[in-house]
Amino acid sequence: MRELRGNQALCEALAQEMANDPRVFVIGEDVAAHGGVYRVTENLLEQFGPDRVIDSPICESALVGAGVGAALVGMRPVVEIQFTDLITIAMDQIVNSAAKARYVHDGAMHVPMVVRTLNLGKGSVYASQALEAWFTHVPGLKVVMPTDPHDAKGLLLSAIRDPDPVIFFESKALYAMRGPVPSESYTVPFDKANVCREGSDATVVSWGSTVPMAEEAADRLTAEGVSIEVIALRALVPFDRQTVVESVCKTGRLVVVHEAVRRGGFGAEVVASIADSDAFEHLRAPIMRVANPGVPVPHSAALHKFALPSVDDLVAAIRRTMSYD
Amino acid sequence: MLDQPAKSLTDCDRVEMCRLMVLSRCFTKQALTWHAEGRVPQGLHPSVGQEAVGVGACYGLRAGDWVLPSLRTSEAFWTRGVTIRQQLHAMCGTAESISGGKETSHHSGYPELGILAGTGIVGGSIPVATGVAMGLRMQGTDHVMVCFFGDGAANRGDFHEALNLAAVLKAPAIFVCENNLYAQTVPASVAMTITDIDDRAAGYGMVGQIVDGQDVEAVHDATQTAVARARCGEGPTLLECKTYRFMPHYPVFDEDRPQEERDRWLARDPIQILANRLQLSGLLDEAAIDQMAQAVRDELDSAIAQVEAAAMPDPEQVFTNIYAIKSERMTS
Ligand SMILES: Cc1ncc(C[n+]2csc(CCOP(=O)(O)OP(=O)(O)O)c2C)c(N)n1
Ligand SMILES: [Mg+2]
Repeated sequence: MRELRGNQALCEALAQEMANDPRVFVIGEDVAAHGGVYRVTENLLEQFGPDRVIDSPICESALVGAGVGAALVGMRPVVEIQFTDLITIAMDQIVNSAAKARYVHDGAMHVPMVVRTLNLGKGSVYASQALEAWFTHVPGLKVVMPTDPHDAKGLLLSAIRDPDPVIFFESKALYAMRGPVPSESYTVPFDKANVCREGSDATVVSWGSTVPMAEEAADRLTAEGVSIEVIALRALVPFDRQTVVESVCKTGRLVVVHEAVRRGGFGAEVVASIADSDAFEHLRAPIMRVANPGVPVPHSAALHKFALPSVDDLVAAIRRTMSYD
Repeated sequence: MLDQPAKSLTDCDRVEMCRLMVLSRCFTKQALTWHAEGRVPQGLHPSVGQEAVGVGACYGLRAGDWVLPSLRTSEAFWTRGVTIRQQLHAMCGTAESISGGKETSHHSGYPELGILAGTGIVGGSIPVATGVAMGLRMQGTDHVMVCFFGDGAANRGDFHEALNLAAVLKAPAIFVCENNLYAQTVPASVAMTITDIDDRAAGYGMVGQIVDGQDVEAVHDATQTAVARARCGEGPTLLECKTYRFMPHYPVFDEDRPQEERDRWLARDPIQILANRLQLSGLLDEAAIDQMAQAVRDELDSAIAQVEAAAMPDPEQVFTNIYAIKSERMTS
């Protein structure tokens, strides 16, 4: 099958859905004339014109608030927040305006809006935060984190067609990753995790940019005769708890890896979902979490590795679980 | 009413302002070259073409006054006395970096020099500046806060809230807008329907002024007038400095700005404008300016050697100063 990079797959999803549905429009900083800082909106202006591909001022709060308003009257906005650290500015509009509109109107109104943003990963203190867990705490929001180009396209199409607000986290790793992408329009459902590889000794759960790390760790351990099941969550809300529970029932061991800070990270929710499920009695080892230890991501390259989880950390954690019988 | 006139510049001051602009430009160009070569890991947002704004506004501020640079105001650092070596340490994230390797040069603060660290969130510093000014006033000082930000930041809600609050509180703040006509790739003409951000001052009942941002003496004069007003309790000022960045937003950004516009602004180089004036007054000749640049290049060469030989930060740095007390319980 034809291969695309993640940013191209996302761009194709936008273009196809804009062609398919005249209600869809794109708004954000540098998205129109420039085609997006990371080329996710390349050539959309040329194809769909300035009424549907809009370069905005720097105004994250107004962008999301206006997205909510447009969605309430029947449009399908796709709002771009240039990177995740900036979504903090729009929190009120996301948490109070977007997430609550359906509820307070008792279903008479709803907000079919997508807020796309980007986890930059290792950058600096203000350009590297992974904040997905915050949004999972707010009823009314869906939280989606694609890993590869195929899912990126299908999940974005699902997000645009979704009747409720979706916070859609992309990553630089995804933009750079090449992979097979069908050329027609297709959707990938949020609520089915991707079992990237099957295994019998331990389960590794991950999402977004740490999935490739989980696969690398699995490769290394396979060489040592340890069989790892790697599960990539496609969404955190809705969370495909069943797939994780079934896997842990089989393997008896669980390691969760994410880029975000461990304390209060979504990993804690994954762990809790095992603690209060039937999988609990199948556990053969303590559950491990591999994550940011609770520090801002520093600028100095010499310090990155102490703030961000690495394949080595993950391999070490899996070995620890394997040391229990 | 204001009775002290703004401090006028001596010939020495004018030559020094020229040197600071030359320093800034030489540093930026060399640091970007080293970045492209992989010698310096951090890029920077080049201020080439805009040097007059930061130099003019910061020159002559007193100890006890504070500044908050934008991501592009390198001149605030030089003018307040940061050294080439310090900024290179920050860029390279060495152990000697002012932040211990935690932050980049443009988001570093030098509290002893009255420089606060701005965040990476465009416009996020403007409310902080209002608060600093408010605090300085509550403490009974006559110190002021000079806050820099771009035209793009002026479209943020934070700008509106902070300027309104500063006006209400008569906070001793000088809001210096570096209007370089672009926010990354988006022209100001796309992002706002007015040409002059100065128009907004009236909406806050604040004094506003349009300033020729290519003329360092004009920037200095306007700032000092605003500073004098702020010091005697007459409240904040919005200064809109019309300027232009001569280089792309950031090294990796490709650009498409109209050639006619570029030519028009390149003809108004702030260093040239002051240098011509100084030459006419017989204060400086071309050789003297070359010497200034050469001195900077020499300092850069010795500084980079020291920085490249410097130790990298101890891993412990990652875990310090997140809280006052470092405790295992606060991480993990
Ligand atoms: C709130 C926010 N939105 C977007 C960005 C991404 N960004 C970084 S610099 C920049 C342009 C800033 O323009 P302006 O304020 O005019 O300053 P200039 O870069 O022109 O000096 C943008 C959009 C950011 N850092 N913060
Ligand atoms: Mg600008």
